[in-house]
Parts: sequence; C-alpha cells; structure tokens
Amino acid sequence: MENAWLIPLFPLVSFVILLLIGKQLKERSAYVGILATFVSLVFSIVVLFQRFFEPTYSAKFNWLTIGDLHITAGFEVNQLNALMLFIVSLVSFLVHTYSKGYMHGDERFSVFYVYLGLFTFAMLGLVISPNLLQTYIFWELVGLGSFLLIGFYFYKEEAKAAAKKAFIMTRIGDVGLFIGMILLFWQTKSFEYSEIFKAVNAGQVSGTMITLTAILIFVGAVGKSGQFPLHSWLPDAMEGPTPVSALIHAATMVAAGVYLVAALFPLFLASKTALLTIAIIGAFTAIFAASIGLVQTDIKRVLAYSTVSQLGYMMFALGSAGYVAGVFHLMTHAFFKALLFLAAGSVIHAVGGNQDIEKMGGLWKKLKLTGPLFLIGTLAISGVPLLSGFFSKDEILAAAWEGGHPILFLLALIAAFFTAFYMFRLFFLVFTGEFRGKDEKHVHESPGSMTFPMIVLGVLAIVGGYVNTPWFGSYLGDWLVQGNAKLGSGHAEGPVWIQLAATLFSLGGSFFAWLIYGKRSVSRDWLSGKGGILHTILLNKYYIDEFYQMTIVAISKGISYLFRFIDVFLVEGLVKLVTSIIQGLGKLGAKLQSGQVQTYGAVAFLGLAVLVVIFALTGGYLR
Amino acid sequence: MSAENFLSINWSIMTPEFIILGVAALLIVFDLFMPKTLGRTILGWIGIAAIFAALMSVASMAGGPAQSILSNTFRIDGFSIAFNMLLLLGAALVMFIAVSYEAKDGLEKYQGEFYYLFLIAVSGGMLMTSSGDLVTLYIGLELLSVTSYIMAGMRKDHVQSNESAMKYVINGGISTAIILFGMSYAYGLTGTTNLLDIAQKLSTLSDANQAYLLGLAFLMLLVGLSFKLAAAPFHMWAPDVYQGAPTPVTAFLGVVSKTAGFVIVIRILLTVFGAAVTNGPGSAPIIINMQNYLAVIAGATMMIGNVVALRQTDIKRMFAYSSIAHAGYLLVALTTLSANMFYSIWFYLLAYLFMNLGAFAIIQVVTEKAGSTKITEFAGLYRRSPVLAVSMGILLISLAGFPGTAGFIGKLNIFIGAFYGTSHYLLAAIMIATTVVSYFYYFGVMTQMFFRPVADKSKLDIPFGIVIVLLVAVAGSILFGVAPNIAFNFMQNNLDIIGQFFK
Repeated sequence: MENAWLIPLFPLVSFVILLLIGKQLKERSAYVGILATFVSLVFSIVVLFQRFFEPTYSAKFNWLTIGDLHITAGFEVNQLNALMLFIVSLVSFLVHTYSKGYMHGDERFSVFYVYLGLFTFAMLGLVISPNLLQTYIFWELVGLGSFLLIGFYFYKEEAKAAAKKAFIMTRIGDVGLFIGMILLFWQTKSFEYSEIFKAVNAGQVSGTMITLTAILIFVGAVGKSGQFPLHSWLPDAMEGPTPVSALIHAATMVAAGVYLVAALFPLFLASKTALLTIAIIGAFTAIFAASIGLVQTDIKRVLAYSTVSQLGYMMFALGSAGYVAGVFHLMTHAFFKALLFLAAGSVIHAVGGNQDIEKMGGLWKKLKLTGPLFLIGTLAISGVPLLSGFFSKDEILAAAWEGGHPILFLLALIAAFFTAFYMFRLFFLVFTGEFRGKDEKHVHESPGSMTFPMIVLGVLAIVGGYVNTPWFGSYLGDWLVQGNAKLGSGHAEGPVWIQLAATLFSLGGSFFAWLIYGKRSVSRDWLSGKGGILHTILLNKYYIDEFYQMTIVAISKGISYLFRFIDVFLVEGLVKLVTSIIQGLGKLGAKLQSGQVQTYGAVAFLGLAVLVVIFALTGGYLR
Repeated sequence: MSAENFLSINWSIMTPEFIILGVAALLIVFDLFMPKTLGRTILGWIGIAAIFAALMSVASMAGGPAQSILSNTFRIDGFSIAFNMLLLLGAALVMFIAVSYEAKDGLEKYQGEFYYLFLIAVSGGMLMTSSGDLVTLYIGLELLSVTSYIMAGMRKDHVQSNESAMKYVINGGISTAIILFGMSYAYGLTGTTNLLDIAQKLSTLSDANQAYLLGLAFLMLLVGLSFKLAAAPFHMWAPDVYQGAPTPVTAFLGVVSKTAGFVIVIRILLTVFGAAVTNGPGSAPIIINMQNYLAVIAGATMMIGNVVALRQTDIKRMFAYSSIAHAGYLLVALTTLSANMFYSIWFYLLAYLFMNLGAFAIIQVVTEKAGSTKITEFAGLYRRSPVLAVSMGILLISLAGFPGTAGFIGKLNIFIGAFYGTSHYLLAAIMIATTVVSYFYYFGVMTQMFFRPVADKSKLDIPFGIVIVLLVAVAGSILFGVAPNIAFNFMQNNLDIIGQFFK
C-alpha cells in the first residue's frame, strides 16, 4: 500500500508520452493508454486486497506554507479509497480498451487518449487524497478533463456549448465547495480529513458552522454529481464520445460528488440539517430526473437522466445516514451504468451514429452480444432480483426506512418504478419490433475490443451485488465501516416487505413498459414461460393498455413536462438572469470606455472626489 | 563633498543599478556609431546580458543586513531585494520578447533607442524599490514613466501607437500631480522627505486635525498611484494604451511597470501611514482606519476588470482588463494587512509575471503574423501550432486561478490572508465571484484555440527568444503550482522582509 501513490502516475505517464509523440503513434496510442491503465488496475487490485487485511495507510509531506500555517499533501488508502481506486481504474481500463474500437478512424484518435490519460490521472489522484485542498485540486482537474472530452467533437456546435456549460455549471458548485473548504479550514486549522473529524467530534466547531460548511461542500457535490438544480449540464454532456459518457458521466467523475460526501461523512453526520438537505435533494433529484427520462428519445439522454436519477439515489442514501448503502450503490451503479453506456455506444456504432430510439428497433437479432448485455444492464438498474442493482437499491430503501423519512422513501420507491419503466421502454424500442431506420444491412456487431469490456462489466453487473446481501452476509458493508463505528452499521436491517415492495415496483415498471412498447413483437410463449400471473393479466391487455395509456403514462408525462418546464424556465432562467446582469454591466463598462482621454481623467478625479467626500462626511479618522 | 567622503560611501550596494545604467549608456554609444545597415537586435541581447548580470548581483545580496547610503535615500533591505529580483526577471523576459519583435511602422529607425530606453525604465523601477526617500521615489517613478511614454509611441507611423502614447502621457501627468500633492502633505507636516523620519515623527503626532489632513493625503496618494497599478479609478487608460503600444511594451507595462507600482504603493503607504497615528500617540495607525477605502478600491477594481473584460473582442484589450482585475486581487492582499501580506503579494506578482509574460509572448507571435489583434485570430491555433496552443492553455488556466498552477496558489495565499485577523468576508466573496466571471473570458480564448476551425492555415514560426520565454513561463507556472514551498523556503531562508522594512 506504500506504493499506492504510483497508481495515478501511470495514466499521467501515458498522458505525457501521448502528448509528445501521440501524433506519430497514431492509433497505436491506444496501446500506451491501455497498458498504463492496466498496470494501474493491477496495482489497485493488489492494494484493495492488502487493505482487506491491513489497517489504513497514509503518508504526507509539507507542501505549502502560508504564514504560520502548514498545508500538507500526501495520500491515504482507507477502505473507501481502496474501493474507489479499484472502480475507477477498472472502468478506465475497460473504457480505454473499448475506445480502441469505438474511436477507430477518428483523425484525432491520439488526442482522445491524451485526454483520457489526463482524466484518469486526475480521478485516481482525487480518490486517494487525504485532505480537502488536494481533493479540490484534483476535483478541478477532472472537471478540466471532462470539459476537454465533452468538447471533443468541437466542430459540432452543441458539443462546444455543452463543454462550456458543463464547465461553468460545475464551477458554480465548486465555488460552494471552495468557500466551505476555506471556512472549515478556518475553524479547524487544517484541510486534513482526520484533523477535521477530530475537531468536529471534539466540539471545536459550532453547530451552525458545521451545518453551513457541510451544506456548502454539498453544493460542490451537487454541481459535480448533477443534482437538482445544477443537473442540466449532465444530459448535455452526452455530446461527448460515448466511451467518455461511460467513464466520466456515468461511472467515475459524476460519482465524485457522492464520494466527497462519503469521504466527509463524519462531518455530515454531525449536522442533522445537512443530512436532511442531502436526503431531500437526493430523493427529489431521483424522481425528478427519472420522470424526465420517461419521454426522452435520444438513447444517451435517457441514460444520462437515469444517471442523474441514480446519483440522486446515492445522495438520498447518504442523507439517510446509509453510508454503506450509498457507497454500495455507487459501486454497482458504476458497473451496470458503464455497461449500459458502452452497450449504447455499441448500438450507436452498429446503426451508424444514429442516437434516436425512434429510428431503431429489432436489433436483438442483429446484435447477438450487445443485446443480452444491454438486457443485463437494464435488469440490473431496474432492480430486478438476483442482479447487483437489486441488492444495492434494497440496501438504500432499507436505510431510508431506518432513517425515518417515509415520504422520501415513497418518492424513492416511485422513482424505482419509473426507472424500470424507462429502461425497459428503451430496451424494447431499441431491440424489439421492426427496424425503423434506414440501411438495415449495414447493422453489425462491434469488434472484440468493444465487446470484451462489455462482457466484463456484464459479469460484474450480475455478481457485483453479492458482496453485500441480506442473505449471504454484508461483507462489503462490514469492511467499509470497520474501525469506524460512527459510520453506522455495515448493513441496514429493513423489514422484509421493503424488499418485496421494491421488487414489485421494479417488476411493475418493467411490465408496463413491456405492455406499451414491447407487446407487439415479443411472442406470447416467451412471456408465459416467465410466469403465469403475467399471462393472465395479459389476457386483458386491451383495457389495461388503454387504461395505462390514459392514467399512468399521462400522469407521468404530465409530471415529466412540468419538471421540464421548471428545468427550462426556472433553473435556466435564473442562470440566464445572472449572466445577463453581468453581461449588461460589462456592456455599460465598455460604453464608458469612450476613448476620450478627458473622460479618463475625469473618472479618476471623480473617484478621488467621492472618496474624499466620504472621508469628510464620516469625519475621517473618527469613522 | 570631498573626494574622501565620496569614496567612503558604500557604493557597492548600488552595483545592480550601475550595471543597468552603465550598459544603457554603452548602448547609446554603440547605437550612435554603429553603421545604419547593421541590425540593432544585438543591442537587445547585450541588454539581456546586463539584466542577468544585475539579477545575479541582486541575488548575491540576499541574506545580508539592511544597509543604506546617501543619508538614507537609498536602501537595500529584504523588501528591495525580493522585488528587485521580480523586476529584473520580468525585464529579462520582456527583453526576450522584444528581441523577437519584428520592428515596423516606424520602429525600425529607433530600434536601438528602444533597447536603452527600456534599460533606463528598468533602472527607474529598481530605484523605486530601493529608495528610502520621497524624492528618490519620485525620481524613480518619473524615470520609469517618462521612458514608458516614449516607448508606447515608438511605432511612429502607427496611428494607434501615437494615440496610446498621447493618452498615456496625459493621464500620467494627472496622476503625477495628484501624487505630488499627496506627498506635499506628508512633507508639510513633518518637514522631511525621508520616509523613516516621516514615520518616526508621525508616530508621535498628537494633533487629530493633522491626522485628518494625513487621511486626505492617503487618499490622494492611493488614487494617484492607482494609475501605475492600473487600478480603479485610474484604470481607464490601460485598455487604450495596451492596445496601441507595441506588444513588448504592453508586456512591460502590464508586468514590470505594475510590479514597480506595487512597490511604491507598499513603500509609501505602509511606511508613512503604517506609523502615523490617528488620535495621539499609541492610537491606531491611519492605515488601519483607511482599510475600508483600500477595500473599496480593491473591490471596484476586481469588478470592473473582470466584468468589462467579458465584452472585449481584442486580445490586447482583454488582457488590459485582465491585468486590471489582477491588480484588484493584489490590492485585496494589501487591504488585509496580514503578516503574510508581503509574501502573498510577492508570490502573486511572481506567478503573474510568468503567466502574463508567457501569454504576451504568444500574443505577439499570433497577432504579428495575422496583422490584427482580434481574439478570433486565435481560432484553431491548436491545429496551426500545438505547442503555442498548449502553452497558452496552461498560462490561461493559471491566469484563471485553476488548481495545479502558480495562479491558484497565489490566489489561495491572498484568499486565506483575507481571513487573517479581521475577516474580510465581503472582499473574499467578491474575489471568488469575479474569479468565476474571469473563467468566461479566459475560456473564451481556450475555445477559440481548441474548438474552432482554422481561418489561416499557415504555420507559425516561433523565434528563439519566444521559446525561452515560453519555457520559463510554463515551467514557472507549473512548478510553483505543484511545489509552492520552493518559493516560500527561499523567502524564509534568505530574506527578512518584515524585519527590515520598518528599520
């Protein structure tokens, strides 16, 4: 573990090498990137295993001195960090591999790997930072990486705008984080997590200050993790290449907000108000984004809203004091959401770049690997029993129930229903029925470099949940809270009916999606083979169909449009208002700059006069 | 003064100034006797050598005690050594930019003149740094200013250049008048021009009415000197002058001249008003009472600089506003008057020197090739010259204060300083907010460079001088961002600024 600091450096080396000679290497650049991330992955796995048996390791040195304050830098391998190292390096390695096929033929192929290297370095650096300042530095660096990658197709106007929007909107959150960090520093005289927790536990920081700083830091997480109201950059960020969406905007960077809250969890635990805020924002985002996802027609945007919603889930878990639940879902989500994005990329690749699900359909027969893998992802995210998402979602709901937020709990349940609904809608529209696009002959399965990562993720999406189940033991949870009782228990004991309800809601969502979008093409035998109850209901499909078209779909569409309205007019409007005020002031200032030298002198004199008059009126030195 | 007396003076502490002035005189002679057909760039290289020699000489003084000669009018202390090093380092880089500048529009006839005027301007700045007397301060200031006026207008066939020189000289005149008026109060109340004597007399001032007059003097000096800093309310000349002046001169005004401006502000305001009492001996110094005025100026400067920069379409004008904004951040450090103030300002100026001079070097290459200073000339720079674009990218994120760069550490120093002792929440908030605004225009240039199609596909040649500037600037911006303690340890171990400043 002493050498864990090397892990981020391999991608950095790849970044530097490719920056210098990437142009000569052309598509061979991929091997450099893949090799670097592979080494990181191997190291991460070793570190993860070591951490199972050894205590937390940390190292630091003096980095910056301001006055009499010493700020340190270093690294720390605790349970959370070790787990994050593994997740990030794994997904990064798989995405590096996948991109070799996906980006094939792009004239800026090596540049893409340069950016990927930079991002992976920053993200790995982020998750082993032992103090807030270092976290903040890498936090900004991942933002830069994300900015560059979203804008990768810069000749597209939307990509350019999306890159800018992502950068600026997350910056707004970062300001909150920065202020919170500085305030915390001022209260505890340290940026280091351990010192901060010590000060907080010893009662050196007042209750209001804890709440204030915790919420400010959470604002940073809101920006990064696309929580309401700073979420709208994330769907737009889908303008970036799809592997990037999988890596940055699904599995790793957007989860950094969740990671931050988890890393500072003892601070948040000290403030009930902050926790409640997180829970409310999380739960609201979960249902808000899920409902918008219901009506999207772009395959990647559906997944993007789904990401926002799932991140809301994680925040909700943390806000309900469910530390284990939040981190657990972060992990399973990384697997199945990366899988879904990569599969979506494979679909887009197959149909020649089209992303509109209305123009897809019937791809199941053509994409023999992608189809089942996408289905695995869909089942996992929907929380269908026995897959990873089922266990982590169950853990969240149990934690929420224990945390005592019945209304938020209900919202989360409904969001689970929506999730299953839009995911299966997506699945059915893409893979079943007739092909609605042009040029069907061209549709082909992706090369091995793309399917291999999907298979790995597919396996993990199925089995990843078994490290923490109510049935076989909560190994992950127990390990995560080991040696730190404050983080809560390793497993939330919820009543059994929660599991049943969750299952019912997710199956319900899937079922309605099937009724509406899938029933035309899926053979009856396929369904009846699954279960008799479904079959009986199916007999009455006519009424149910009509009924749900009118009620559930209409209501959810209504909610969806309402939220879209809030999104477009209120949130964006507010942002527009602020920017236009600043722009207006700028215009005014530029107008004053007339080029007349008399004006310049006059302004200086006026300035002096105003200061002197104020001085005179306030009695000068007497104040 | 007898010859013996004259020789007994410890002239050696003026070695750096002598080197610069001596070489300037040499260049005048060379320029006079060199055949017209010979290129004058060689004179520039001699100038660079002189600046480096002076830099070495200054650096060798580090660690020594405070010394003064000529009845305390000229002094060497930790402060003067630290800031002289900044001035000389900046001057060296500007000179590298200047030798790579293709003289045209009338400048070609005066190219030699340009180099020695430049050296004289630098010596003016150095004199300001090391002076302990109002008179020498003023002479240094004028030496710097008058030469700058000339340099701004050296492209004699270029209308904008002429206009800029004219505006500069008029505004400079106004500011000088205000400064002198302010100084006259200090002299009138104490009967001496020596800074330490003034401080000593004013520290026992018992008449509150006289303190009131000194308050007025403070405001006049502050407003007058804000001209050199390009801070509000005396900032309006900057965009016009920056735009019209030849790029090396713009770089000089933006960095070296501004550094000198901060030097004189700190010397006068801190020595005189840090000692002068408000209400009888033992009461609070005037400068503490005037903190709010400093804060207003700092806040206004940050807001004006950053907000108006958004509207600019000309890269040099944009950088003029950006330099106004940076003056605002530096004034925040001054306002807080924290123990860490000297170091914060020094470090920020160092970081600012790297990022701004590097950026100006690139601006010169790009705009000279294009023949226009529009920001759109940067479109697709990444395609034309990846090296320039990536360097500019690093410098821009440093200017924006992005973590991992020297600019970030500089801002962090100032920001944390704002919470030292009395907390300046409002000022800190304005600093953060305007920094966010600054992202828009810095990243506007980034978008041009990386995300826009190329208008002009021709390749750019990077002259040798520019290569050096870029190497130093980019390395400095990253090095001091990643390992900022290098600078701190240097200061801590070699220079005792606070201990020597008031003695």
